[in-house]
Amino acid sequence: MNVQFSSSKISTDDGLSPGETILHVDNISLSFGGVKAIQDVSFDIKKGEVRAIIGPNGAGKTSMLNVINGFYHPQQGTITYRGEERRKMRTHIAAKQGIARTFQNIALFTGMSTLDNIMAGRITLQKRNLIWHALWHGPAQREELEHRAAVEQIIDFLELEHIRKTPVGRLPYGLKKRVELGRALAAEPALLLLDEPMAGMNLEEKEDMSRFILDVNNQFGTTIALIEHDMGVVMDLSDRVMVLDYGRKIGDGTPDEVRNNQNVIDAYLGVPHDE
Amino acid sequence: MSPAFLNFVEIVLNGLMTGVMYSLVALGFVLIFKASGIFNFAQGVMALFAALTLVGLQTGQVPFSHLINAIFGTEIHHWGGGMHTVFAILITMAVMIILAFLIEKIVLKHLVNQEPIILFMATIGLAYFLEGAGDLMWGADVKVLNVGLPSGGSFWWEDVTREWASTGSEYWGMYIDKLDVTATVIALILVTVLTAFSQYTATGRALRAVADDHQAAMSVGISLRTIWVIVWSIAGFVALVAGIMWGSKSGIQFSLSLIALKALPVLILGGFTSIPGAIIGGLIIGVGEKLAEAYVGPLVGGAIENWFAYMLALAFLLFRPQGLFGDKIIERI
Repeated sequence: MNVQFSSSKISTDDGLSPGETILHVDNISLSFGGVKAIQDVSFDIKKGEVRAIIGPNGAGKTSMLNVINGFYHPQQGTITYRGEERRKMRTHIAAKQGIARTFQNIALFTGMSTLDNIMAGRITLQKRNLIWHALWHGPAQREELEHRAAVEQIIDFLELEHIRKTPVGRLPYGLKKRVELGRALAAEPALLLLDEPMAGMNLEEKEDMSRFILDVNNQFGTTIALIEHDMGVVMDLSDRVMVLDYGRKIGDGTPDEVRNNQNVIDAYLGVPHDE
Repeated sequence: MSPAFLNFVEIVLNGLMTGVMYSLVALGFVLIFKASGIFNFAQGVMALFAALTLVGLQTGQVPFSHLINAIFGTEIHHWGGGMHTVFAILITMAVMIILAFLIEKIVLKHLVNQEPIILFMATIGLAYFLEGAGDLMWGADVKVLNVGLPSGGSFWWEDVTREWASTGSEYWGMYIDKLDVTATVIALILVTVLTAFSQYTATGRALRAVADDHQAAMSVGISLRTIWVIVWSIAGFVALVAGIMWGSKSGIQFSLSLIALKALPVLILGGFTSIPGAIIGGLIIGVGEKLAEAYVGPLVGGAIENWFAYMLALAFLLFRPQGLFGDKIIERI
């Protein structure tokens, strides 16, 4: 079987032109019992940009990603994704509508191979239903092969050839992070959420990962929202940065603007109490 | 070959085939446990319910006839002459799928993110409900299930093995039940199909993904609820196969649901999360209990077949709590 694809096969084209708002978050508040994780935060993500969310530990960054992809349901506020407004996202539906993500603590399917993990990322794109799969021939098989070819492209792109068949549970940390990126990418997402893609990596791994993120953004035009603690990386990669502290938004703008924002400097360095 | 050795072979063969029957039941447990972390206490009753429905359809019983007769004073029992076995099996399968759908809709949906023990309790309730529903629909009398599978001893095998014995010895050949052989073949096909399905199809991949990590599975766009319906349907199918096999062997009656208890030591041996484990665990239990009955039994007055499996499971719990093939439990501190 010979399946040919042009390099543009992995695409994240969704009809929006660069610069248009793809996601709009309005006055979101989220609390768990008495803990207010997010308080009245609004921001937007524009098509084609790399949008960073930063802030000290416990600022509500991951909660915000969880709200966007539907793990958490905010008590107040709305989310407008590609023109459709809603209060509640459902996770698997968010995924079907093109929101893919990675996790802070790596959530791979540890018993499955790299190839199967990335194939799992394409589930939303596979159209044949259960009956076809049960019979598994003809169209379902052809479809499987097409998706397999697309996955090979991602494996190529992320330089994972040597671990294609390895169960991911056995991989070192840095590679796991890369496989997870591959799985998210396999869905050809319109919006890619990355939760601390470089946490716990050494300098070389960080450089590799930064390169992959930029390549994804440039080559596929994927919109990326990322949380990261390494300020050097954040300032280099992102087009715009939002800063959260104790669940509130304290800054938003280009890296330069944020760097010079007094609130942000105070949040990170602390404010002197005396005088 | 000496008769003693041939006897040993016969016991092992019969043990292996009994083991396959245990594996059939254990398989249903493993499927649900892997995909949803639920220990489904109702698996045995599902087999009973499937078998009851199958016989009812096959013989043309009117469902709820006792209830209807009691309320309206009527005398209905059967419609026509029943239906062809193949149709009956297909309709029973449809009933099991509807059941899976209802279980998800009425029970599981409301218990998402609850403690495993609560889900376990829910399946106990489900077991009692199904048991009652089965009785109410089809009556509590013992039924004979005959789906046309070959049964009875194999004379051919008896003749063949008689030849093997050394000349002059009084050996009358091995006894092997044709039904057990059929069950083994069917179980092998079932496991092969299930494995192929889970390894090589997108739906199978989704099942494995859910088994591995619920959150990650949702994040790639898998609907947990859909997967649960699929898994419970497959478990219903396995229950149907187990119900047919056990029902053909020993009749359909309430005690059929107790075969679930035989699956427990199999699961402890093989691990709750491993399909090959369920098979090999079943084989070990089957062979183990037959051998123990034959060689240890006479020393202690017999009847050790009934508790031997549990002893074996207990020994395993002491040395390998995760079973032979189960995932090693590593707690992050």
